[in-house]
Amino acid sequence: MKRTQLACLALASILALTFSACSPKSSDPTASGKPTTGSKQLNLFAWSEYVPQAIIDDFTKETGIKVNYETYASNEEMVSKLVAGATPYDLVMPSEYTVEALLKANKLAPLDLTQIPNIKNIAPEYTNLAHDPGFKYSVPWMSGSVGIVVNTEKITDPVTGYADFFQEKHKGRIVVLNDNREMVSWVLNTLGLSINDVSPANLEKVRPILAGWIKMVKVFDSDSPKTALLNGDVDLGIVWSGEAAILYKENKKFKYTLPKEGAHRFIDSLAIPVGSPHADAAHLFINYILRPEVSVIISQNFPYTNPNLEARKLLTPEELGNPASYPADSSMLETFRDIGMAAADIDKLVTDLKSSN
Amino acid sequence: MAAILDQSDSNQENQRHPRLIGWMLLSPLLIWLALFVIAPAAILFVYSFCSRDALGQVVYDFNLGNYARVFDPIYIKILLRSIGYAALTTIICIILGYPVAYFIGKARPDTRNLLLMLVMIPFWTSFLIRTYAWITILKSEGLMNGMLQYTKLISAPIEILYTPYAIIIGLVYAYLPFMILPIYGSVEKLDNALVEAAMDLGAGPVRAFSNVIIPLTWPGIVAGTLLVFIPSIGMFAITDLMGGARVPMIGNVIQNQFLQARDWPFGAALGMTLMFLFIIAFALLTRKSHPA
Amino acid sequence: MDSLASTKSKPLLPSGMKLVDLIFGSWTVGIFIFLYLPIVLLLIYSFNESRLNIVWTGFSFKWYEQLFTNAPLIKALKNSLIIATITTAFSVVLGTLGAWLLYRYRFPARRSINTLIFIPMVIPEIIMGISLLIFFATINFSLGFTSVIISHITFCFPFVLIAVQARLIGLDPFLEEAAMDLGATPFQAFFQIIVPYLLPAIISGALMSFTLSMDEVIVTYFTASPASATLPIKVFGMAKVGLNPMLNAISAIFIVATAVLVISAELLKRWNK
Repeated sequence: MKRTQLACLALASILALTFSACSPKSSDPTASGKPTTGSKQLNLFAWSEYVPQAIIDDFTKETGIKVNYETYASNEEMVSKLVAGATPYDLVMPSEYTVEALLKANKLAPLDLTQIPNIKNIAPEYTNLAHDPGFKYSVPWMSGSVGIVVNTEKITDPVTGYADFFQEKHKGRIVVLNDNREMVSWVLNTLGLSINDVSPANLEKVRPILAGWIKMVKVFDSDSPKTALLNGDVDLGIVWSGEAAILYKENKKFKYTLPKEGAHRFIDSLAIPVGSPHADAAHLFINYILRPEVSVIISQNFPYTNPNLEARKLLTPEELGNPASYPADSSMLETFRDIGMAAADIDKLVTDLKSSN
Repeated sequence: MAAILDQSDSNQENQRHPRLIGWMLLSPLLIWLALFVIAPAAILFVYSFCSRDALGQVVYDFNLGNYARVFDPIYIKILLRSIGYAALTTIICIILGYPVAYFIGKARPDTRNLLLMLVMIPFWTSFLIRTYAWITILKSEGLMNGMLQYTKLISAPIEILYTPYAIIIGLVYAYLPFMILPIYGSVEKLDNALVEAAMDLGAGPVRAFSNVIIPLTWPGIVAGTLLVFIPSIGMFAITDLMGGARVPMIGNVIQNQFLQARDWPFGAALGMTLMFLFIIAFALLTRKSHPA
Repeated sequence: MDSLASTKSKPLLPSGMKLVDLIFGSWTVGIFIFLYLPIVLLLIYSFNESRLNIVWTGFSFKWYEQLFTNAPLIKALKNSLIIATITTAFSVVLGTLGAWLLYRYRFPARRSINTLIFIPMVIPEIIMGISLLIFFATINFSLGFTSVIISHITFCFPFVLIAVQARLIGLDPFLEEAAMDLGATPFQAFFQIIVPYLLPAIISGALMSFTLSMDEVIVTYFTASPASATLPIKVFGMAKVGLNPMLNAISAIFIVATAVLVISAELLKRWNK
């Protein structure tokens, strides 16, 4: 028995080392953005429920290019599949900090902006983003924020920021995003620190405040925080602006405000991975969705903030008036930067706090 | 009793030596295990000794750092909690499921398969929709509270949703069929003559169960326990949805390592630890108590 | 016809157990109510006017109408069914064969093999998904139906194997010998004596395997291609924007169709007696 077990273990180790040593079929950095022409396919890897089918169908009708739309539900899932290299993607849709991380790992190909003349439609405040100034590697798709939504029928006092939000009287009536980095960023805002300054020293300052906050939360939900609010199980929430916009459309009693201490703005962009087989089709698609009449379709389906100035002109007053989609004052918004290894420290901190609850 | 966990040894006296034909017939299973169980597990086994880079990918500098982290009290506590929930779920499933399995097993032959399918059919709908339906039932303004208040049994809504009670309801609901079906397999072959004999000898129904029926259907109960307890340790989706994601389970922690925290090697180490714990527990529980 | 029926349905339970039968019967009804409560609700909500699957706002057929023009969703259901059926077939073969061989023969590494069989159940799904993804990428195996089916079989067959193993305990070892004494080859003995004996456990295992495959999402996500997207993947993708009642509609249609099929097959069988 012992010998067979030893043999099995040896075999397993040999297999393991063999597989680890072999490089996976990789999207190798062949001449980055090697010009391709006449592609008839496009491998689009984007967030699920973010690309209206109508846009894809019209694109195919106009150009004859077939779009293979694969989806993911988080940036990290996308990175996992991208790096594993099983499928060569032409377009991915990373959030801002993921763009930065992918750039650091040399996974994105530079864009040929001569193929994307419609880039001029993008609003000026998006042209020099911290993670990718000048659209060298990415083009914004949609933007949004994370802010406070209040059921004004149940909560009559004004809630202007995190301090008002996390009060003892709201205990057990709160839903927040189940996102460890988000939660830490709210505390950092309250402490007046940058949301990207996640040094161990700062995390120690975050700990006691966050511990208190976590005790007040009834539900953590990143997928559909609107559920708890609509159900009446909670009265306040810190949610994605898209969720808040949907809530507002359902019932105007749900008011969205950006916390005065500061908040996070996210920007999802289209980018082309290194070694994409149909880079020309990818450029065509990017230019296509930048057309105002196409971009407005995205807005109609997903009420986030559209960075396309020309597209905004085509929106209805009601859509533009949705405070979650287009907040009045967004000057206090900051974007996430890539924090690399610190993500694990944050995860450990929040897990510990939740577990001690 | 414990030896039954390793059911491959139940036939000791009559087992034959596998000649070539035995090995040939077993080879598909062995090849499958080697390719799709051992090899992928081996990959992550190697990862668990590595470190990570900024993107979360693997850096091959072999060290035991990840395993040292696994024994941090935070994670041990979470692991014990997951095991606790799994154990409670299993016990409740046995209590709720055994009578159903018995009833179906003793039903008319033509209706048995129909009843079995009816047990399973609800689970051919989507997990998320089922769970949201439970949320609709259990929420403060939901069906359950509505009914209870309507019948004046309670005056104010009971808060079940987003508490551990809701988690247990969700877990039991998800795993009950996986307890009922294996037990059914054992009950179905129960020879009524044995039960009749026991009753003829003066045993009442309770004695008949404790001395005859349950011992004879024990393999089914053990199988059901294995098929419920083991998978439910890693379950976290139900805790998240019905418990409001307030209590982290070991499944959450591992999922986070591969996604939010971008620390694959540590996630691999946690997974390997679960695997090793199982192997050790299994070996201990099936060790031969005395030479034959 | 009547007399035939009455001789077939002779009382299966010893008389003293009639009370137990009643209690267990009512218990079973209670459990079935528990199992079907969310399903009935799901069905009702498929007629919900509001797009958000949370509050009831009114009655409408529109989701069923929309469903019929939603090709990707119907294709996803088809994919799920195909994958689940093939997975179950292979799992049944692997599981039953494995359980039988481990029972009949004294393999030198049988304890290790038995332990290995549990591994797909122990390992968290995300680890299994990612490791299989890396494995397929390494051997240059493109993702698609085959990779998904392989992954599903891997975590489904242990359920069949364990269910069948439980039934093998207490099997009269001389059953097989007796059959062979009467001239049957080991293969004949297996298929004509052992398999029928094991059938209830095999059916149990098959039902469990089918269910697991139909409802699995994490491993499937990592090993599927867009063409082989299954219904659970589509459902999880929709979680963020709110589960469209079309999903309720498709689930409702599926289980009602299955239930009707199963019950009518049952009635047909009785009719034909």
